[in-house]
Amino acid sequence: MINAIILVFIGGALGALGREFLMLGVPDPSDGFPMPIFVANVVASFLLGLITGLHQRRAVTDDVNTLVGTGVMGGLSTFSSFVYGAVVVMGASATGMTVALAYLAASLLIGYAAVWTGYRLGLRGAA
Amino acid sequence: MRPLDVMWVGLGGGAGSLLRWQIGRLVGERYHGGFPLGTFLINVSGAFVIGYLSVLFSVDWRDRFGAPLNAGVLTGVLGGYTTFSSMQLDALKLSNAQRATTAIAYLAGSVVAGLLAAAGGAGLARWQG
Repeated sequence: MINAIILVFIGGALGALGREFLMLGVPDPSDGFPMPIFVANVVASFLLGLITGLHQRRAVTDDVNTLVGTGVMGGLSTFSSFVYGAVVVMGASATGMTVALAYLAASLLIGYAAVWTGYRLGLRGAA
Repeated sequence: MRPLDVMWVGLGGGAGSLLRWQIGRLVGERYHGGFPLGTFLINVSGAFVIGYLSVLFSVDWRDRFGAPLNAGVLTGVLGGYTTFSSMQLDALKLSNAQRATTAIAYLAGSVVAGLLAAAGGAGLARWQG
């Protein structure tokens, strides 16, 4: 088995870079909804579900699961920017509270649907 | 964004992910209850630190480029340390184990505690002036 420390470090670095590029490439809507973080979190949830399902039926090795699941998806998704962004958006404008609550609710619901769908696909082997 | 920022984000993301993995293991060795305590503690502590440091560094939370500290620490380390996807996977596992109520309480509790921690960190930095 490859040293897990190296796998987690390299995966986390790649994931964080992917999030950085999403922050640069995904446009922010005018109402302040933090779209880049939302996209990073939903995509990472789907892919983490997928790799977990694949790993559970032994379609990927432990090393791949550590590299991609623990490393890349942990690095791509973020909770700190998720909640801090919501706090900033809340106080930013008159409609900020509504936008922040919609952001929190959409992230939780769509993120959960994403991890659920990814996991099912991974278990079935349809992906 | 400059190439150096990319390097800092990568290094920070790798270091933050390692920290998350280590703390997750330490908590897992000591706590054997049914609540995803490791990810919860990691996420709430990371939310506090990002609120604190963002105000301390006076950075707009969307525009973190230009300084290694911003790119490396806020986007890199804290982004790699905290995780949204593992939180959702924890919730899915609870739900699959017929513990949907715990799953909902975990998600809601993480978000409420995370919001309070982020606001509290920002408030502490402002209070310190």
